[in-house]
Amino acid sequence: MPDTFSFGIDPLTCHAWNHDHSQLALSPNNHEVHVYKWSDGKWKLSDVLAEHVQRVTGIDWAPKSNRIVTCGVDRNAYVWTLQPDGKWKPALVILRINRAATCVKWSPLETKFAVGSGARLISVCYFEQENDWWVSKHIKKPIRSTVTCIDWHPNNILLACGSSDFKARVFSAYIKEVDEKPNATSWGSKMPFGNLMAEFSNGSGGWVHGISFSASGEKVAWVGHDSSISVVNAADGSKLTTLKTDSLPFVTLTWIKENNIVVAGYDCSPAVFSYDGENVVLIARLDDSETKQQQGSKFSAMKHFRSLDNRATVESNDTTLETVHQNTVTQVTIYAGTKANCTKCSTSGIDGQLVIWDLRSLENSGSNSA
Amino acid sequence: MSTTLQPYLKAVRQTLTAAICLENFSSQVVERHNKPEVEVRTSKELLLTPVTISRNEKEKVLIEGSINSLRISIAIKQADEIEKILCHKFMRFMMMRAENFIVLRRKPVEGYDISFLITNFHTEQMYKHKVVDFIIHFMEEIDKEMSEMKLAVNSRARISAEEFLKRF
Repeated sequence: MPDTFSFGIDPLTCHAWNHDHSQLALSPNNHEVHVYKWSDGKWKLSDVLAEHVQRVTGIDWAPKSNRIVTCGVDRNAYVWTLQPDGKWKPALVILRINRAATCVKWSPLETKFAVGSGARLISVCYFEQENDWWVSKHIKKPIRSTVTCIDWHPNNILLACGSSDFKARVFSAYIKEVDEKPNATSWGSKMPFGNLMAEFSNGSGGWVHGISFSASGEKVAWVGHDSSISVVNAADGSKLTTLKTDSLPFVTLTWIKENNIVVAGYDCSPAVFSYDGENVVLIARLDDSETKQQQGSKFSAMKHFRSLDNRATVESNDTTLETVHQNTVTQVTIYAGTKANCTKCSTSGIDGQLVIWDLRSLENSGSNSA
Repeated sequence: MSTTLQPYLKAVRQTLTAAICLENFSSQVVERHNKPEVEVRTSKELLLTPVTISRNEKEKVLIEGSINSLRISIAIKQADEIEKILCHKFMRFMMMRAENFIVLRRKPVEGYDISFLITNFHTEQMYKHKVVDFIIHFMEEIDKEMSEMKLAVNSRARISAEEFLKRF
């Protein structure tokens, strides 16, 4: 059974966990970031980070250095550090973008982070010690539309990005002030900053909503608005495999094992797919709505006559959805474990709920649905 | 004739369910702005292909989608002059009160009688499947209302003519 937490009626735009998931940072669809601490079996609001003036679009929490980076529609990003008195102090990042920021991610070594924006570019930011501020470098070519999602390769150099120009790309974000010279990977050997390592089209044309590198960095997967899931295996000559599903489009995904991904989106329920080198197949839907339907039929007869008795109307009570989430899922993140072996993942939705799904039950019950 | 109604509404419902997948998207043309892309139409890559679902030449639905907004335009069956006038007045009545309807557009799209504009803000506050239910219900009811009004006009005309001519 998934753990459900409700944070009000406002949509949860984004969320991030700290290193031991005792604290949670989320944004309730406004300019604030709320930090919650887990105490006595409940989430208690411990801090409100209110530096942005417009909607916050991305939050990422660096597990080792315990810093939070947030980005918003006001073209700004802030890096928050925890002060000894328990308050979070913001440091402005000079992104030099003239449109909204859409997504932000810390690099694996937490020395830099990347921000995608509506200015059709990615801002890769690192800390300049001598001036004591965060500076940025831009990756522009050949992005033609808003960057919707980004993800880092484990080598701290390569960056995957999806955009609303229907393309998924892998760039090099090598910054000589911060990084050491990288070794050659399956994606290529020459990695100057801003170099386009690979570009893939999203099939029949569909905005790329979410993108993710696998734990080893050999594979990259993305989800598009044409309800498809695509996986590219760089180790296998950049072979592209696409699965067109018949559900509503997915908007977010993450690898949970080297060959499994969990996706979620407008269907309001997460599902797990597996890639075996040739095909992408559905393994399981995490929302077990089958048992719920069985329970529902027992009570609907009683409900039917009760509404007939009360109001003399035949009320079809189909307002609430059978899934746990009542509206679109906005983000799925790893809660416990790593991309190589994730035991629990969390989803935040437009219905204001945060749900933690246990993935271990998948292995125990086996593949029971297709 | 009515055998085409159910498949027609089913097709509209399924297209709407797919097109109502909207997300909050800040304008990439004007900084700090958030506009319904289907109305602004400045960035072609953000617009979906418009779909027209026709029951016959007179009755059709145009669904235009985009990344953060959806426009549905309905052409209502108007067989004769009376129905044309009734339809025009009825739609005008509703469109003047568009604010209360939330998803109604104040002016219909060219070539249609009534238009709805649904944005990501609406889908954040309301259930998507209930909004689709509302549109379909609207389409079903509109024909019934029009027939009822036409009957009412005819019967009222008959009664008043009868009363008037009783004098003579």
